Amino acid sequence: MKSNIWISLAVGTGLLLAFPALVSQPLVNAGIQMLIAALFACAFNLLCGQAGMLSFGHAAYFGIGTFATIHTMNAFGGAGLLPTPLMPLGGALIGLLTGGVAGWFATKRTGTYFAMITLALAELLHALAPHLKGVFGGEAGIYAMRMPAWGISFGSSIEVYYLTLAWVFVSLLLLYLFTLTPMGRLSLGLRENSHRLKFLGYDVHRLSVTVFAISAMFAGVAGGLQALHTESANYVLFEGHVSAAVVLNSYIGGVSAFLGPALGAVLMTFFGYAVSDLTRSWLLYQGLLFVLIMMFMPTGLIGVFKWLGTSRKTYGTAQLLPLICLGLSTGMILTAGVVFAVEMLQRVFSLDYRSMSALSPAAGWAPITLFGRDWLPNSIGTWIVPLSLLLVGVALTSQVKRLWRSLVDRVEHHRENSDAAIRRNER
Amino acid sequence: MSKNPQPILTVSAVRKVFGETEIIRGVDLELRDGQRHALIGPNGAGKSTLFHLISGHYAPDEGRIIFDGHEIQGASPEYINRLGLARSFQITNIFPKLSVFENLRIAVMRRHGLQNTLWRFMSSYANVREDTDRLLEQVRLQSRRDAIAGELSYSEQRSMEIAMALASEPKVILLDEPTAGMSHEETDYAIDLIKSATQGRSLLIVEHDMDAVFSLCDRISVLVYGQVIATGTPEEIRNNQKVKEAYLGEEFKV
Amino acid sequence: MDYLIVSLLNGVIYGLLLFMVSAGLTLVFGMMGILNFAHASFYMLGAYFAYALKDSIGFWAALLTSPILVGVVGVVVEKYFLRRVHQHGHAHELLLTFGLSFIITELIKLFFGNFPVEYRVPQSMDFALFQLGTMNYPAYRIFMGSVALVMFALIYLLLTRTRVGIVVRSAIYKPRMAEALGHNVPLVFMGVFGVGAALSGLAGAIAGAFYTTNPNMALELGVIVFVVVVVGGLGSMGGAMFASILIGVVTSLSVGVSSSLADVLAWVGAREWAEQVGGLLTLELSSLSATIPFTLMLLILMMRPSGLMGDKN
Repeated sequence: MKSNIWISLAVGTGLLLAFPALVSQPLVNAGIQMLIAALFACAFNLLCGQAGMLSFGHAAYFGIGTFATIHTMNAFGGAGLLPTPLMPLGGALIGLLTGGVAGWFATKRTGTYFAMITLALAELLHALAPHLKGVFGGEAGIYAMRMPAWGISFGSSIEVYYLTLAWVFVSLLLLYLFTLTPMGRLSLGLRENSHRLKFLGYDVHRLSVTVFAISAMFAGVAGGLQALHTESANYVLFEGHVSAAVVLNSYIGGVSAFLGPALGAVLMTFFGYAVSDLTRSWLLYQGLLFVLIMMFMPTGLIGVFKWLGTSRKTYGTAQLLPLICLGLSTGMILTAGVVFAVEMLQRVFSLDYRSMSALSPAAGWAPITLFGRDWLPNSIGTWIVPLSLLLVGVALTSQVKRLWRSLVDRVEHHRENSDAAIRRNER
Repeated sequence: MSKNPQPILTVSAVRKVFGETEIIRGVDLELRDGQRHALIGPNGAGKSTLFHLISGHYAPDEGRIIFDGHEIQGASPEYINRLGLARSFQITNIFPKLSVFENLRIAVMRRHGLQNTLWRFMSSYANVREDTDRLLEQVRLQSRRDAIAGELSYSEQRSMEIAMALASEPKVILLDEPTAGMSHEETDYAIDLIKSATQGRSLLIVEHDMDAVFSLCDRISVLVYGQVIATGTPEEIRNNQKVKEAYLGEEFKV
Repeated sequence: MDYLIVSLLNGVIYGLLLFMVSAGLTLVFGMMGILNFAHASFYMLGAYFAYALKDSIGFWAALLTSPILVGVVGVVVEKYFLRRVHQHGHAHELLLTFGLSFIITELIKLFFGNFPVEYRVPQSMDFALFQLGTMNYPAYRIFMGSVALVMFALIYLLLTRTRVGIVVRSAIYKPRMAEALGHNVPLVFMGVFGVGAALSGLAGAIAGAFYTTNPNMALELGVIVFVVVVVGGLGSMGGAMFASILIGVVTSLSVGVSSSLADVLAWVGAREWAEQVGGLLTLELSSLSATIPFTLMLLILMMRPSGLMGDKN
């Protein structure tokens, strides 16, 4: 297993390094966003998956990191004490300090209370920011320019990509090394049983605040990278959906593995980028995926991969593969049905469509173009498509479940038989 | 052990009310230095609550608790533990998803002062690893070193509970029903373990197994409905009329 | 002086509205141990259902139907979603309700658009009930406050005086015992969850007409409701009422205060310095009124983390 991990890491690193050469320019920008989201998610997971403190307001430290870095960029102009590549240090420092203060309050409570307090703190910042125009620049936000440093102009996306990659790499490494330190191991204890830690002599509040601050620091680094990338900072970074996104990304990827949240963040950011031109309902799909994962695959995508790995050993690839294929096809059919329904509904209820109908009431329901064909919203024929897809999907799901059950039973039965045979031979 | 050792833990006139019920209704208890003191009594008498009061989980409404010259009533659990008082729990209170080794290591780490260390790797502390392994051996769990704590059998988890209380090498140990759910052989081993591990320390133990109590302890206090109705040597308690009445032969083998 | 009374009245009514929503939340938490993140989404659904129905069945019928619909949604959420995740623990339930609130918001944006909708107080209610000096006090505000008070009284009576109430309370405190006595505890849970959702929906249906109805109202109100619950102490109805009124009144009163910290510092002769520093010190309190609940929450956390009336947990 260990060598598998090393190989995957090596391949992954290689791909990341070669990325800009393999893809088009706009995709490089998307790649930068994916890297930033991955770091943000791993910083979040230090607090959530490792120390067991679910934060619903982590956008606060990301956003503060962005603003701090923008101000640093404007203050230092890229040369001298703090060259451009080191700008995210400003985000790190302010993230650390803010995290320390916020964490002091938030960790006074645990569990659900803690989550609510972090949300409230982020909302407080969101409400306060527009009024502090000096710091947050009001509605328009603040701007800065990447200045040349170290012989690089930082004008092109490719240069920003590699700078981001370097920072993300170093940060993830530091985050991982932290888990190997005494404090890192203790933070696991925080997650498992903070109550017992008290009786073992630990100052749980101080420990929690420290972990919170470190998590906020790396969130600030991610925010700083955002500042370098977009050369701007705006108080909308404190909005609820930024905090929501990191929670969704992390759990979709899986919070029990170190790189799980990074995986979730990369995938979700990529899909958001790829699909946001095609649909206005991307956020709805993300929410549906999150709820599905919470209900049926609580350990996230990483959990699914692990399960595949162990299942392959137990049941053998030959037996498993047809089932997996059937399962995937079922998933695709169900997805197609849902997507069709959502896209139709979205267009029917959109402002454009409704104003168009209002303008010419006599014309009745205008056809909607979807997937290259015209569909009439008020005709049964239109809605039969998603309905039948969903019904077929549901039927296939129960079939898949039944086949899976029988496979499990067969292997269990086989194992019992061979155990009995061994016992008989031993007598 | 001196003829009349000094009290290392004193509970005076402690009361505790929950809502409208007074659970601890004026308890006086004295644990003498180096002695093993059992706390027995029927279920619901308040034994675990008394432990909670001593270890800092609850603050008493009245009364004082003095440990090693310090007043600890209402103090935080971590402060009390650092003074040298450790406890185990009646309901197993471990770190379920971590390995047995990690569980014990967390308990051992504090003694080495590592709670704020983030610049060295855990693996570089050989002394911590050795102490943890030694602790594992002491409770006969070395074969389960890498097993996930939550998957251990109930009695193995009880052994872990004892180990975690012993890890910080405390002056006073509070053990809350450490052998509950153990088989006869396991109980015998656990009692031997407790005997050897508490050499030179003071022990306050809640137990229902009377054989264990009599073989282990120098003194016994009987707690009934939140009050201590008798304290004395095992012989004195065995012959005490009030105690016999309180138990009415339920668990007490005369 | 009139202004003060009007502000106080506004504050109390806003507080009662907060209580309407937080009461259900506290009840469900006390009973099931989960914080329903989607509770404020039920509030939003109430407003939107009422808006969608008012043109076909009239304002008042919509006002009555909408909470019932929201209650049904609540029951569906409890039965088909929450129960499935119950085994994975409280954090999972919280996350699930978080995801559901996200989906509800996106669905509302899909069907109704990502902007406020025209959900207004009907003509029949759009008058001034009385005059306070030079100010007219809207009848609809009084209506909102009255509904909240009536609702509070009904819940109190229901829980303390009726047989159903006793069963519910026993299910809250000792669910296993209640089940052993033959009561259908899962049904009770479902019912309380549904009623809590319906109450939230009723609050939304009523308040949505007065304040704005937009896809963001769940988050805006939701955060304040969470603050109420932190300040008042979860599990305590009395605490929820007290904290709701407190936050309502303080927020309302601060809207009219145009002095700032710089004005306060003027008393010690530091006004000029404060004005030079600018930023937070020169902000008028009225601009900051939205942040007052959070400040209160932070103060409570510093002094009494378990809330004003919560139990030390």
